Amino acid sequence: MMDELELLKKDWNNQQEHLPKLSYDQIYKMIWKKSSSMVKWIFYISIIEFVFWAAINIIFSDPQSMEELKTMHIYNIMMVLGFLNYAIILYFILKFYLNYKKISVMDSSRKLMKTILKVKQTVTQYVWFNLIIFTLTMIISLYGVILYSPEGQEITKSASEQASESMFWFLVIVISVVFMAIILVLIWLFYRLLYGILLKRLKENYNELKKLEV
Amino acid sequence: MNKELEHQFVSELENNQNIVHKVCSLYTNDRDSHNDLFQEITIQLWKAYPKFRGDAKFSTWMYRVALNTAITLYRKSKKRVKTQDYDSVIFKIKADEYDDTQEKQLKLMYNAIKQLGDIDKALVFLYLEDKDYSEISETLGISEVNARVKMNRVKNKLRTILNP
Repeated sequence: MMDELELLKKDWNNQQEHLPKLSYDQIYKMIWKKSSSMVKWIFYISIIEFVFWAAINIIFSDPQSMEELKTMHIYNIMMVLGFLNYAIILYFILKFYLNYKKISVMDSSRKLMKTILKVKQTVTQYVWFNLIIFTLTMIISLYGVILYSPEGQEITKSASEQASESMFWFLVIVISVVFMAIILVLIWLFYRLLYGILLKRLKENYNELKKLEV
Repeated sequence: MNKELEHQFVSELENNQNIVHKVCSLYTNDRDSHNDLFQEITIQLWKAYPKFRGDAKFSTWMYRVALNTAITLYRKSKKRVKTQDYDSVIFKIKADEYDDTQEKQLKLMYNAIKQLGDIDKALVFLYLEDKDYSEISETLGISEVNARVKMNRVKNKLRTILNP
């Protein structure tokens, strides 16, 4: 085996003339081409996620529905949630930016992989926080609509006339939990797929290096 | 000033391009992917060049950026999954310099290396480039002891691929 490796080393160092040779101009042209590195992909996907979830929040807090919120007696709690949400978004954008800046191709392989995974982790955490806030908003709105909106009151009234009220609330809860669970699983699957494709190789390589150091 | 930097960089890379070509030939299987990876490494080198500024040798710095790009940053294109096609790959063994058995052996070796994982390839590459363990460990970000351990494992792996 050692002989084979030595033979290989000798051949390896003799292969110069068989390697392609690019001219000065060919290389010069290359430095102006656009990179298609994985860091770029992660950056763009992250930006889309930040914008998407921020947009969802803005859509759900337009002034018209604020009036509705007041009549439904959930205005205060929704305001607190909204404020919390913006603070969290700002915190995550800052954290994302700082982590992203740390990515350096001049680091060791292990450190480079670690910083990339950290950036991705920040975005994942951001998405989870948003999902929690989104779910809370949904639950509170549902509660407000059923208890205080004219339509809701009508439904509860006819429900208690036709069947038992506890049965009605039981159904409401079951349906909303199932509905919420389906949405969450779909979003979770989507992210698994997206980052699975993007980061599989990186994670494998990182774990291989990390395993050594334990 | 900027023009000067461009010129400096391109000539340095032109003189040291063999290193990048060798990395590309290890991590890709056809000419298109080879060129694609070469371009990505060039872009990454150029982006990092202003921060380089001679605290290490240009070539030493290149090893790290080139390997990081090949292992971590480069996104495999679908073409790369093709089965290995050794005639089109850069490793062409000079038949006149070796006898038949040696040539056969070398072909088998290159074949075996191509089957290794990304990290193992990097180790073999740095070994073939005569890097010492301290440089290998710094490039990959593992301790020197572990670099040795890992290298021995890679050698064993090669052995099993060669003698199944």
